[in-house]
Amino acid sequence: MRTIRLFLYGIPILLIVLLVAAFLNATFLSVAKKNEMSIGTIGEPSTLNPIQQADSASSEVGGMIFNGLLKYNQNLEVVGDLATNWELSQETTFQFATEEEAKKAKSFLDIFARTNHPDWPITSTELAPRTKLIIRLSEPGYKASEAIAQALRDKEIYYIPFHNKSVVTSFLAEPIIHFTLRRDVRWHDGIPFTSADILFTYKAIINPRVASPRSSDFELVSSVTAPTPYEVIVRYKKPFSPALLSWMGAILPAHLLENIEPSKWADFYNRHPIGTGPFKFDSWKTNEYIRLVKNTDYYLGSPWLDSVVFRVLPDPLTLRLAFETHQIDFWNVDPWAVKSFEKDKRFDLFSSSGNMYNYIGWNLRRPLFQDLRVRKALAQAVNIPQMIKYIIYGRGVQSTGIFTPKMWFFDPRVKALPYNPTTARTLLDQAGWKPGSDGIRVKDGKRLSFTLLANNGNEIRRDIATLVQDDLKQVGVEVKVEIYEWAVLLKRFVNKGEFDAIVLGWGLGNDFDQYAIWHSSQTHPEELNFVDYQNPEVDHLLSDLRQEYSRPEILKLAEELQQTIYNDQPYLFLFVPESTSVLWKNSYRLRQPGSKAGEWIDSPITMTKAGWSYNMEWFYRPEYPPKDSVLGNNLKR
Amino acid sequence: MTSFIIRRLALSVVLLFIISIISFFIVTLTPGSPYPWGELNPKISPEVKATFRKKFHLDQPLPTQYAFIMRDLFTGNLRSIKDDRPVMSRILERLPATLSLNFTAILISLSFGTLLGVYAARYAGHWQDMASSFFAFLFIALPGFWISYIVAIVLVKNFGVPILGTQSYGIAFPNELAVILDRIWHLLLPASILALGGFAAQSRYLRATMIETTREGYIRTAHAKGLSEEVVLYKHALRNSIRPLIAGIGMLLPAMISGSVVIETIFAYPGMGRLGYEAVLERDYPTLVALNFVLAALILLGNLISDLLYAAVDPRVRLE
Repeated sequence: MRTIRLFLYGIPILLIVLLVAAFLNATFLSVAKKNEMSIGTIGEPSTLNPIQQADSASSEVGGMIFNGLLKYNQNLEVVGDLATNWELSQETTFQFATEEEAKKAKSFLDIFARTNHPDWPITSTELAPRTKLIIRLSEPGYKASEAIAQALRDKEIYYIPFHNKSVVTSFLAEPIIHFTLRRDVRWHDGIPFTSADILFTYKAIINPRVASPRSSDFELVSSVTAPTPYEVIVRYKKPFSPALLSWMGAILPAHLLENIEPSKWADFYNRHPIGTGPFKFDSWKTNEYIRLVKNTDYYLGSPWLDSVVFRVLPDPLTLRLAFETHQIDFWNVDPWAVKSFEKDKRFDLFSSSGNMYNYIGWNLRRPLFQDLRVRKALAQAVNIPQMIKYIIYGRGVQSTGIFTPKMWFFDPRVKALPYNPTTARTLLDQAGWKPGSDGIRVKDGKRLSFTLLANNGNEIRRDIATLVQDDLKQVGVEVKVEIYEWAVLLKRFVNKGEFDAIVLGWGLGNDFDQYAIWHSSQTHPEELNFVDYQNPEVDHLLSDLRQEYSRPEILKLAEELQQTIYNDQPYLFLFVPESTSVLWKNSYRLRQPGSKAGEWIDSPITMTKAGWSYNMEWFYRPEYPPKDSVLGNNLKR
Repeated sequence: MTSFIIRRLALSVVLLFIISIISFFIVTLTPGSPYPWGELNPKISPEVKATFRKKFHLDQPLPTQYAFIMRDLFTGNLRSIKDDRPVMSRILERLPATLSLNFTAILISLSFGTLLGVYAARYAGHWQDMASSFFAFLFIALPGFWISYIVAIVLVKNFGVPILGTQSYGIAFPNELAVILDRIWHLLLPASILALGGFAAQSRYLRATMIETTREGYIRTAHAKGLSEEVVLYKHALRNSIRPLIAGIGMLLPAMISGSVVIETIFAYPGMGRLGYEAVLERDYPTLVALNFVLAALILLGNLISDLLYAAVDPRVRLE
């Protein structure tokens, strides 16, 4: 009897005592923080192998472990990372019927070009075997080469076109990037970093068995060679200016992976990677955390923090709970909560215009949306300023096309179509859609009615659909809203191009190349021009843009592209939301290398074009100021 | 007894086979397909997509896919679509966290449930009984996610206590005891909430059987013998009322594992429920099929344990 009572009362009492003790422990636990940064991520990274990852959680972690050859600085300009220097050039090759002809062309160019055309960036000319003439240019692109071809024809020196499959070209234009690498970089296991690693990374990315999401960036590479351990020469089949950005991607260690079958990487490397970055991989507990520790051997000097922990938290509310209990150090505030955090003196807020815009895609395969007047009417019938006010609480700006204001090639002169239901009604009348008996417009016996799709779990898009439904009803358009789960939306509607209209968003980084989204060749199932937008003028602009290397020319083409597409209204461009991060006040400061060698600059965290967190490796906690000894070490470099 | 177990195991194999077919088709016939590249990604070339489909046999007809998945499941080569790791190790690495959470929850619901049940039965009809009934039905009726959010918000807003995951992060602990208590806190809190519904239900079961038992002749005899109220209650009535409870333990485990998805998500607890939930959203077919298989096996095992326990505590029951 006594045992029964002991168990009956003992276990509950014990449990209560434990719970109270644990609660008191948690409440009164000294909030003395370790010299550790913790970052919350929604969703578990899939892999830490940088050439196999495509999700943002993975690349966020990978960014601290790996380096690319190039990176963005705080002004979003391209600067060297593992490369100290990179030179762009091009070899343009003409072929002739005879060696005589080739020689004639060479002497003509050597003399004529030097005197009459100093604007041609020719560095040298060389006769190649079998009647070819190679012209080296200090600037890639078609323009100078086309001018040279024209001059040769004017001079009646005739070259023979190249036939490659069905494509005929007057000459071969092969851009070259010559990288010079840092000599002071070591992998986390102590092995020096060399050009062999870049060669290997390139081969791995294009290996179909690796199935790298980055492979499309390297389709135009014809060869990668490494003349010395600290030099790499990349040669392209034709001018392709976005190519330079692809070298911002992380480099893999050849010495670890070269002799291992890619299918085995998942077990061997992808969950304990070795990189060159400021932090080394330490441990990964699935669905809990990934811990990185500082790389004291980092080529720019050891970070000040001892470790960085990425905590996997499943939803936005848990992120907020974690932030408020100091379990993660910053949090992306929902738009509706920004105001209350702004008022609170305990926090620092950093807001910036995002790279992402929301839109409604009209399926241009549907006769209804093929009429530009209808698309313009719909765009003016939707009250976007009100949408910004109520959906994102004023934390954003109206979108004026395919680029966002943060990008350097954005054209601020494009004016958003104003909200004007009267104009919308007139336009619909002109297009032949007259109000019917139930208030919904009718044309040839068909009602002006369509289905608008959005995905479940994205409240902003769901709210957009609701407001659009309401706004369009005012001008006599019936909208049926249907919400599907993301996987269903993709497979059943987007990939097949079978939908009327859909609420989506694009977040595309700083790449001006949007060929995949707007070119008329990209309208097949599963391709990204799923609205079936076709405009020859835009096709030309897209092709020219990806062959153009000069910044002013890129700007000109990009602006024209933005204007043309906005005038066509294939999407109803909605808004660019702002993103806001919140930190506990003075929880971090920044001490980073200055522009001069050996110089270190100490400052509070500040907002730059590249965001506030682009140089997180140099953050430190004020309670753990950078030690002189460490600083001394770093100063030597 | 032995032949009973063998027969049950043989039947379980057949059942598992049928369950595996049903679960495979439920999973794969759900609209949508795996797309492991997040939102629409312009960098993913058709070749990469094709390689991905080929690798996971998604280009094959469904019966062939089923055959591949079953073959890989039994040779241990079944890999997750999300991270390309063996599915079994993904499931097994969650097991310690899941089991500790659920065993703690079972312990809480059994111990408190018994206590409250006995208490309610003892004062049957009095205000003590009414009060305990009220709270029991309240806990059964309130959805777990709602209680979780309220508890979480109160603890965070008013006390600033960390509640997520299995431990606190970034804190310099003064000593080992603090570390252990911190772990216990992160286990007991979700376990208590998970146990609320079960504990309330247990107390109602026990109250009912206790009241029934106290009407039996031998209880009257015990009272007539002059035994004290306490002895009659704990020694005679409780022992004879607790049988259905013990038999129910076997069934508690699978129910709790599948029922902890919500609590695990809210408390960011790394258990199997969350694994399954995330696999559904990602259409990670291999993980889902394997997880369903493991859960089905656990349920069948739980059934068997229930039957065996019942036979062990009730001599009238014979397993044949």
